[in-house]
Order: sequence, then C-alpha cells, then structure tokens
Amino acid sequence: MTPFLETKNLSKSFGSTDALSNLNLSIHRGEILGVVGANGSGKTTLMNILFGNSIISETGGYTGEIYIDGEKVEIPSSADAIRLGLGMVHQEFMLIPEMSVEENVTMGKEASSSLFHKKNHALGWLNQTKNQAFCKKTMESLGMDIPPKTPVKFLSITLRQFVEIAREISRNPLRLLLLDEPTAALNYEDSLLLLQTLRELAGRGVSILFCSHRLQEICRICDRVIVLRDGKQVDEYTGQEMRPDRMAKAMIGHTIRTVHKTASSSSGETILQFSDYQVAMPADELRGLNLSVLRGEILGISSLSGGGKSAVGYGLMGMFPSSGRVQFHGEEISSFSATKLMRQGILLLPDDRKQQGILADKSVTDNIVFTAFHAGARFQKRAAGLFFVKDKKAASAYASQMISRLQIKCSSPEQPSGELSGGNQQKVCIARTSAMNPEVLFVYEPTRGVDVEAKEKILELLVRMNKEEQTTIVMISSELDELVRVCDRIAVLCEGTLSAILPPDATEEAFGLAYAGEWTHD
Amino acid sequence: MIRKNLRLPQLIIAGFMLCLFATAHMLGFNMKTLISTSFTKFAMNGVMVLAMIPMLKAGAGLNFGLPIGIISGLVGMCLSIQLRLSGMGGFFCALLFTLPVALFFGFLYALILDHVKGKEDIAAIFIGYSVIPLMDFFWTVAPFTNREMLYPIGGSGLRPKISLENYFGSVLDNLWSFELAGLTIPTGLLLFYSLIALLLFLFFKTRTGEAMEALGQNEDFCYLAGIPVKKIRHLAIILSTLIGGVGIIVYAQSYGFVELYNGPSGFAFPAVSSIIIGGYIGKESGVFQAMLGTYLYQTIYLLSSPIANAVLIPELSEITRMIVTNGIILYAFLQQNRRKHD
Repeated sequence: MTPFLETKNLSKSFGSTDALSNLNLSIHRGEILGVVGANGSGKTTLMNILFGNSIISETGGYTGEIYIDGEKVEIPSSADAIRLGLGMVHQEFMLIPEMSVEENVTMGKEASSSLFHKKNHALGWLNQTKNQAFCKKTMESLGMDIPPKTPVKFLSITLRQFVEIAREISRNPLRLLLLDEPTAALNYEDSLLLLQTLRELAGRGVSILFCSHRLQEICRICDRVIVLRDGKQVDEYTGQEMRPDRMAKAMIGHTIRTVHKTASSSSGETILQFSDYQVAMPADELRGLNLSVLRGEILGISSLSGGGKSAVGYGLMGMFPSSGRVQFHGEEISSFSATKLMRQGILLLPDDRKQQGILADKSVTDNIVFTAFHAGARFQKRAAGLFFVKDKKAASAYASQMISRLQIKCSSPEQPSGELSGGNQQKVCIARTSAMNPEVLFVYEPTRGVDVEAKEKILELLVRMNKEEQTTIVMISSELDELVRVCDRIAVLCEGTLSAILPPDATEEAFGLAYAGEWTHD
Repeated sequence: MIRKNLRLPQLIIAGFMLCLFATAHMLGFNMKTLISTSFTKFAMNGVMVLAMIPMLKAGAGLNFGLPIGIISGLVGMCLSIQLRLSGMGGFFCALLFTLPVALFFGFLYALILDHVKGKEDIAAIFIGYSVIPLMDFFWTVAPFTNREMLYPIGGSGLRPKISLENYFGSVLDNLWSFELAGLTIPTGLLLFYSLIALLLFLFFKTRTGEAMEALGQNEDFCYLAGIPVKKIRHLAIILSTLIGGVGIIVYAQSYGFVELYNGPSGFAFPAVSSIIIGGYIGKESGVFQAMLGTYLYQTIYLLSSPIANAVLIPELSEITRMIVTNGIILYAFLQQNRRKHD
C-alpha cells in the first residue's frame, strides 16, 4: 500500500546551515507519526515545508520531493496545503483575538446563504445559525463547551489551544494533521483529552504528524517515532522500542568535548538566591524557581524552548514582571531594575545581539566602552569643569587593547559594529562587559550563530573571566554541548520550574530526562 | 562632515533652489533683497527646526507637538511684555520666563508620550492640536493688564496679535547688523541662532547627549547598559519643548508681533518639513541637517510665490507654491524611506 505522504531527500538550508538534510519519511493513512528532536533539529522546518509556510519560499525554498498518494506535489503556499487536505496547529497561536470562537473556527469555510443564487459566493450572507451550530458540534467533539460567540481574547491559553485544534480538525477533507507542540500550553488532564481526540481522528483515517518535547506523550500516542538531530533522521522506533530514555539519548547525541573548565573556582558561598521566583515572560514563563548561584562558579541554565530559561535573567533585569524573592549577598533585591543591579555588579548580555546587544551604527570603540562610560563612570572627563564627556584617548586605548586581546576582526576600531560578523560582535559584547568587571554576569546563548573557531574563543574568554576576575557567570544556553564543557553545575528547567541540577559529567540520558521533566533521584 | 551629511536628494533640492534663484534673476527681481530675506527667514525659523532634534535622536518621533513649546515661549513673552521690559532685557527676560513654563509643559508632554510609545508622531499631532484651544481659554481670561496686550475695545482678554514695536521687536535683527554690498546682514540673529545650534551640537558630545542618541538607536541595549531610559527620554522631550519656546521668541522678535490663539498651529508642519528636506534618516539627524533643511525649505517657499506670480497668472501663485514646497517634502520623504529599506 502506498503511504499517504512520502518525502524523498527533503532538504532545506538557511544560509549556510542545514536545517534539514535528505529526509526520507512516510506516513500511512490513520497513522500517528511522532517527531522528536532538540531545538534546531529541524522539526519546525519540516512542518513549515509540508504546510507551505511562506518562510520557506522566502528563504529560497526546499529541495527534494513530496508525494501524496504516490503523486508528486508542490506545496508553494498554505492555501495549497489546505487544498491537499493538510491542516496545521501551530506552536504559537494563529488566532484572531478580537473575533469570536465561531468566526475563528469557521474562517475560510463559513456557511453562507445564496445571495446571487450561487452557493458559498464570496458575497453571500454568512449563515450565523449554521456556523454556530457547526462550531458547537466541533468543540463538543473535543469535549469542550464554549459559547460560540465568545471572543477568543477572553479565553484561557488552554481553551485557545482547543479552538486552534478545532479549526484544523473541522476542515473537510482533513487527511493529514500537523501538530507542532500542541500540548506545550496544556495541563495534564487537558493534554490527555487532546490525545484521546487525536486517537479518534486517526481511527477515522486521518494521518497525524506529532511534534512534542514531552516524550511520555509521544510514547503513549504514536505508532511510530523518528528522531531528528541537526536536520538528519538519526533513529526510528516502533511499538515497544519507544522509550523516553532511548529517545532522549538519540536526541542529544554524542558530543565531542574539546575544552573543559578546569577545577571549580567556587567558594561554595551563595551569592544569588532565587526563592519561588516567578517571571511572566510570554512563551517562556518561569513558574516558581528555587535556585542558588554560588560565588565564583559558572552555572549553566538550560531548558527546551518555553521551559523558562530565558526568563531567569530578563526577569531579574526588570524586562518582564516578576514576583518572588531574590537575594544578592544575602540581601533581598527590592526592585528589579537594570540600572540599580548594574551598580551592584550584576550584568546581563542578551541573546538577541542585533536587537539588544550592540549599537550597530556606533563604532567598535564606542560599543566597547559604552556601558562602562554610561553606567560605570569610566572613560570620562569634565568639559569646562561642568559636563561629563568621553575621554577619547582612554577609550580608544582600552578598545585597542581589547581588540588585540580578544582578536576582534575589524577594519579599524572606528568601524561600525553592525558590519562585523556574529562572532566578532559577541566578542565586542564581552569586551563591553569586561570593562565593567561585574561580580555576576548573566550571558545568554553566547555562541549562537557563531562559527566553530569563534565559539571556542568565546567560551575560553568566559572561562578566563571566571578564573582571573572571579566573575560568577550564569550561562543560559540551549546548547548542552557547550554547557557541559565550561560549567561547574547545570540547572535544567522544565515547564518553568527547576527539573534537576546536574554535574557536567552526567549521562546524556540524565540530561534528556531532565529536559523532559522526568528526571528523579535514582 | 559635509560629504557624509550631504546626500543626493539634498543636492537635487539645492539644485532646484539655485534654478529658482536664476529664474528670479532673469525675471529681474531684486536679488539683494531676496538673498537678504532668505537669510533672515532661515535664522528666524531655524531654532524651531532645531527643536526637532532631541526628540528625533531619542527615538521619540517627530516633534509635531511643537505648539507646546511655542506656547511656553508665548507665555514667556507675554510676561515680559506685561512687565514692560524692552530691548535686549525684554528679550532675555522672555527667555528666562519661558524656561519654567517649558519645563512644566514639556514634562506633561513627555508623560503623555510615554503612553503612546511607537506612535509618538501621530499622538503628538493631536496633542499639538488639542493644546491650542486650551490655551485660547487662558489667553482670554489671563489677568494681564498692559493695555497694549489687551483687546482695544472691551479691554479684557489678550489680543491675537501683540506688537513688539515698543518692547523687543527686531532686537536681534538689528544687533550689530551691517550692510555688505547692499545686503543687510542680521548679525545678531545669525549669531544667536548659531549659538543655539552650537550648544545643541555640543550637548550631543556629553555623556547625557550620547546616551540620548543611543536611546534612539536601541532602547533595549540602553536599558541593559544601565541607562535610565525613561529619564533620558523625558529630558529629550523637555529639551525639545524648551528649544521650541526659544524658537518662537526668536521668530517673534524678527516678525515684530506675538501671535496668540491659533498662531502656534502653523509652525509644526514647516519645521517638520524642514528637517525632512534636510535629509534626516531615521534617528540619524543632526544640527547640520536641520540647518540645511531650514534654508532649503524657507528659501524655496520664499522664491516660489513671486516667480509663479510673474510667470503664471497671479491667482495660481499660491497654488504653485503649495505644489512645489509640498512636492519637495514628499520627494525627500520618499527618498528617505527608500534608503531605509536598502
């Protein structure tokens, strides 16, 4: 029997990185196929290709072939995907908040009466009664009883997820449903309800492609599961072979560990203490963190996306509303403001370099001395005995020293820093923090988008900063590979709480389970 | 600096201006008067264009709320007239009285703009519009007693146009002014304008100034670098308001009248247009662009009407002037946006 959908050598690259390479995959009718993988393994890219999302065509399209019912098809847009019987539930909600549940569910397939004696004419009147009844029926099949006229913006996150699912499953004909982390926003009971609905759908012959970080769920619902790593399929399991620990190991893979941090320089004394710390950061909420950061250590914080790792530092800096207690040197921090914390010696390097980490139009020198000049009162002199102006001599002397020490590749210290490569921009950022000599440094994804050589250099810099200047470093990263190399301890978060604190030499299974929130002591 | 700041659209507009001058010459206009007037117009309007810069640099949008600054200046001048201060003393006292008013109004303006981050331009337009009727009320009931300020008949409420003849009219224009080859050079006016421009230029070399500039480029960056973002933004808006107040005083002394009531409404758009013509790109706008833009805008505005008058039928002259000046603004705007997408 030919599978419903088949891909042959499906590949996609963004710039020089391969998001997906030579994927051969098949889904039969009524089959639930699980797809697991770490962040950046290509799951979302796969979904985007199959659903014809515009991001694919805008970035140069894909290579390879897609067959549906044995026939080769092109899916240039989402409208084409829908015509072929595909539906997709997105990780981020694609709902219109101002519109009602009914309007969201029936959008694009509304029942309308014949204004010009033509069924479903574009100018036909919407048949409210029919649409509402349709919506009610669909929601009931999901076990939900929501008045169809309720605006979506008043619904909870859980209910919104169901509205999104209702919209997709009510497509006719629906033949393949793509689900990208559909249960990420749901609690346990609701996710069970959803899984049950999916089983029923599969029973009616609908094929389902199911992406999730929750390995238990995958094991419970899927007929077959494939594991992606760096855009390649590395493993496939069916039936009894599906076990969370095996999948976790395959997901993370074996790593080549090149540089390790030598002996721990931590004194064992707590420098920063989080107690029941909560941060309302959209899509990366922290729901009660208890964690102590030791003086002089490099602490890694990791989680899958949405697990809450980003919220730790950004919440502290007051970029998102937060609650709970944080103590610095045993004293409670009363207001989360970057200006105040910086004066006390806590600094943060953001992951979004282009948006938050550098001033693209300003020169390398200006960037390097910026924080120290404005917040640390360095490199300044008085003009006319009154106003503070930049001491250009001191600034450029320091900048050239840093440029040669960190081997920042730039045509001159006056080159706008936006013109540098990602790795060199990151070095500029690190030089900028060095000038402040902070006590605690939060650093986000320090090696994201950076080539191999620069990556080593940056990690080395961080380790050196920790060793020579006793800077306590909290490194927040989704790349486990680099964390295990430089950290003293690694805190893994899952769903906004601490899942485990692991030593860098813990097994891959342990990390995999900790990511899934299923790690327990022994 | 000139090479970096002068861009093609500005060169084209400047070329157009020179064409206008040449046409004027061919039509036999009095060139000396035209050139001399163009310099006066440039300097008398210039300060109000400078009032755009702090807000633009800080990323708070185009200062369409210029009427707020202008009103502060008007209040300052009215106080000075009320006290019957004349000459240089009257002028500087008007500046002095403007200061607290501008600080207060500027702060309120800043508080309102905090709520409309990202949509400052459009909000500022309406703030500017709505503050004018409020002040109409004030002008009518304010207890000023100098007869020369009040309505000649009835005697209560300020008159719409107060003459500065007996106070500080033309004090800057006449200061150290001299004739050069038949041209009258308003030295004092040009000097005062240059002084304000220089102070503003120097301000952006200080720590606060650099922080303000960086704020416009990247707010998150500044926040994470420990800059008191809100304070600096407020400061920029207050500074813009204050410069606007100074601007109207400079304008009024040259014009010879203080225009109350709907007077302030007519200044925001020319000032905004000037800086656009001067070639501001995003947040990269300097004193140089403001000055260049002011000269180009004011001169083209000045020349287009008499030329159209002579070449076409007189009824068309005002229409032509509008088409020409607004067309040029649109051209500069299109050029600017296109560059942003490159």
